[in-house]
Amino acid sequence: MGRGYIVEDVVEKYLSNLSVPGASCVTGLLIGQSSSQRDFVVLAVRTPQKDTEGQGSPSVSRGAGNSLEHLDVEWVTEHARQVSRMLPGGMSVIGVFLVTPPELSKEGQNTLRRLIFAVDKHISKGRLWSLTEEDVTEKVTLHICSKTRKVVCRTYDVRDPKSSAKPADWKYQSGVCTSWPLLTCSVGLNLVFPVLEMHVLPQDMEKCMKEGLQTWAKQIEDGLCLINGDAMPGEVELLGGQKKNAKAVQQTFRAQILIPMAEPQSERRLTASVKVCSGSLTLKGMVQCRAYLHSNKPRAKHATEVIKRDVINTVSSRVEMFLEDLLMEGEDKGSVGVQQVLPRRVFAPVPGMSLCVCDYMFPDECVSDVSDRLKEMLDWETPEDSIDTSQEAVPEAPTIDLKNTVVQKNLKAKSTLDARPKTPSEDPTEAHKSHKTYYAGVAMAAAIALLATGTSLIYLSD
Amino acid sequence: MTSYLYLYTHSPLIARKSGISVNGHIDYVSCVFTVPHVQKVISRTFEALGSQVKAESLVLSLSSSPVFLWPNKGGHATAGEISPNRPCKDLQQLIHFPVPHMYFIDCLSCLQGIINLTLMTEVTEPGVLSAPTLLRGSKKHHLLQTTLPMDCVVSVLSSESISVVCGTLVGALCSQLSDMEKVALRHMKGTALLIPQPFHFLLPAPVGLVTVVYPAGVPDSQLETRRKELHSLFELPDDRPYLRRANALHFPDEPYKDGYLRNPHVHLNHPALENGKPYLVQGVYSYHHYMQDRVDDNGWGCAYRSLQTICSWFQQQGYVERAVPSHKEIQQALVEVGDKQGSFLGSRQWIGSIEVAAVLDQLLGVTSKIMFVSQGSELASKGRELANHFLSEGTPIMIGGGVLAHTILGVAWSETTGQIRYLILDPHYTGAEDLQVITEKGWCGWKGPEFWDQNAYYNLCLPQRPKTI
Repeated sequence: MGRGYIVEDVVEKYLSNLSVPGASCVTGLLIGQSSSQRDFVVLAVRTPQKDTEGQGSPSVSRGAGNSLEHLDVEWVTEHARQVSRMLPGGMSVIGVFLVTPPELSKEGQNTLRRLIFAVDKHISKGRLWSLTEEDVTEKVTLHICSKTRKVVCRTYDVRDPKSSAKPADWKYQSGVCTSWPLLTCSVGLNLVFPVLEMHVLPQDMEKCMKEGLQTWAKQIEDGLCLINGDAMPGEVELLGGQKKNAKAVQQTFRAQILIPMAEPQSERRLTASVKVCSGSLTLKGMVQCRAYLHSNKPRAKHATEVIKRDVINTVSSRVEMFLEDLLMEGEDKGSVGVQQVLPRRVFAPVPGMSLCVCDYMFPDECVSDVSDRLKEMLDWETPEDSIDTSQEAVPEAPTIDLKNTVVQKNLKAKSTLDARPKTPSEDPTEAHKSHKTYYAGVAMAAAIALLATGTSLIYLSD
Repeated sequence: MTSYLYLYTHSPLIARKSGISVNGHIDYVSCVFTVPHVQKVISRTFEALGSQVKAESLVLSLSSSPVFLWPNKGGHATAGEISPNRPCKDLQQLIHFPVPHMYFIDCLSCLQGIINLTLMTEVTEPGVLSAPTLLRGSKKHHLLQTTLPMDCVVSVLSSESISVVCGTLVGALCSQLSDMEKVALRHMKGTALLIPQPFHFLLPAPVGLVTVVYPAGVPDSQLETRRKELHSLFELPDDRPYLRRANALHFPDEPYKDGYLRNPHVHLNHPALENGKPYLVQGVYSYHHYMQDRVDDNGWGCAYRSLQTICSWFQQQGYVERAVPSHKEIQQALVEVGDKQGSFLGSRQWIGSIEVAAVLDQLLGVTSKIMFVSQGSELASKGRELANHFLSEGTPIMIGGGVLAHTILGVAWSETTGQIRYLILDPHYTGAEDLQVITEKGWCGWKGPEFWDQNAYYNLCLPQRPKTI
């Protein structure tokens, strides 16, 4: 007996509305939750266009004709990675879909298999938390025939590279996620990562941060989680006590995470360890976290897991994005001693549902950029005033070292303005480095911002 | 580490044990960093720790219970029935697996209840509200990482409200941090930091329970000045090692790792003699008997075992640091002092009180008094002498007769009636460390004067406490 996927009605609508001109194919992602008993799909998102030339398949280069061979798997997986960053805890990319003309159906199955393994691999890169035995590793592939609209649903166990397709049920339903409980918390960060003497900033920054974050992530994973102030045993049902046919309403739970102030006794050293460092990295601030549970008898254990994972993901995503951005902008020697603001999290509602997704805004961006990104990544329109930017406050103007002149920074900003393309870059690998290049740049605004802060400097003296 | 909440019947004690991870950045300008510089950084680090302890994000977790307390938020707690105004003895009822009673060896009061507390911090209680920032520093420096083993004891009444208790606990943590800072700075080896470790000591009334911080790795012998200061501070006599590390208080859920039973005699009922009272061994000893340590000394090792029990007493009262000697080491010592020939090594020869005294002197530097009785019946009249020994020295006595050796742990004696009982620890027991069997079958028990062979002669070895701190 295979898995059963319960899918929101809107997904059916979306899939049927996908324009598939001619004999080309459309790929996309399926977003939802998997539990041990049942699986839920709430969103389907097509892979965005790679270039602006014409419509047609974004992932098959024009003129490729009827073959799936030219499918850009990397592009699909990168889209999946970007989308994953936009999903709060609990929700994830649990499958892929492919729309093909009837003659490519068979080949389509192989393609789907390739895609789902590649997507899962790419999404799991850089993940700071580990899967448990209870995590579902079956992902779904959906094939839709463009002519008959017939749907073939199969699952693969992505943990096993040799796994074969298993049939699965695909059932449409309305109001799948209306009563999905929501967990929220805000986590304070005050982390100092030493940069050991063999490392040099900024080249080794990624390595140092990754190591430091790994330790912190383990602390969070092992920490105790209180839900609405209660340390519930893992098997307790969160929604217990609700009448079976009661009006479906979304409950919100407050999570608190407690970590011990010292390592466990067995790991303690008897002497103080001294390391020589060539620098340090300090990560300070507050992150707003959200996670969704499904409505099929969720347990406290699952709840603590999803919110902790969201905490870890949001911090690691931001750091990743910051480092990618830094890499793109080139080495900036003057940033030492400057407090640089990491992208902050904003939330946007999913149209027609009580769920929300998130995005990260760099300091030099504005709400319209977020809106553009949502359109690009998730294929829906979001009115700007529905985007909630109030959850994380903007930090005060960072102190800048006068030694690094503003002029220098300005020039740099200018050069990136020129370099940044108005449309997604032709070269897929370049574009993958920062999702900011998916749309028109706002480097101009960045230059102005820097100038403004330049006039209110504070000296940093040793 | 876990913490303990002790509740006395009259004046409850609250203790807490925990650890705090310390990251102290010690900056240096050139390749050599100076001592005062390091000291400044250590002080700064302790200051930072102090603010962590006083922060609202500090949480105390009650072990074996679902209760969490926020001491810096007025004692706010998670479990619904507990509000900050309730007396702290209410916390006891919420504990699922209560820690067993603890017997304070040196004092007659027994602790009613023990609650463990662990220090935690809530990461979802952020002080800063803005989105994260990253700051890169490029100054060369040294990073010091260690865990401070904090262990606090506070005493309050069981009727005291939780909010007040929380305040007292945090205060105790802060003062321990400042004690630790003083010790760390005082005992720095150049620029190396020795980890300060707290120890609890139960001092005679009216002082009670105190906590002293000693630097790790510095042996007791080098800390005499410190102990002298403390002895005068607490007005303790200067001939007993009250404040040596070995004399520190052990809490119940810290079982002795060596597996030997401690003080089985406390579980006995003492005989009620008319106008008489018991005079018992003071302090802690371990029960050594036949067949332990995989040595089959059944039939010949009784005096050796009694000697081991005595050595364990000196070790656990902090007079010596060496471990309890094995049969081989005992025989070696006797050969070394010339009491026995080389052929004695590895043999199963008995030893007597004289040999016991010689070994105590050779291995532990302990002198002993020897008491001789020509007939076992004479022992009945030795009540006053034995009582005086237990009063002044309080050490276990080894008694050896023509045939057997035993350990005397106490005497119950009536001056008026002359009735006498002896508390005997029998080294001839061959079974496992089963307290119930040992006490019920009399392997540790009170015996009357008929216990001795009335016609045999006996030698008693009465070890004397060294006069030292």
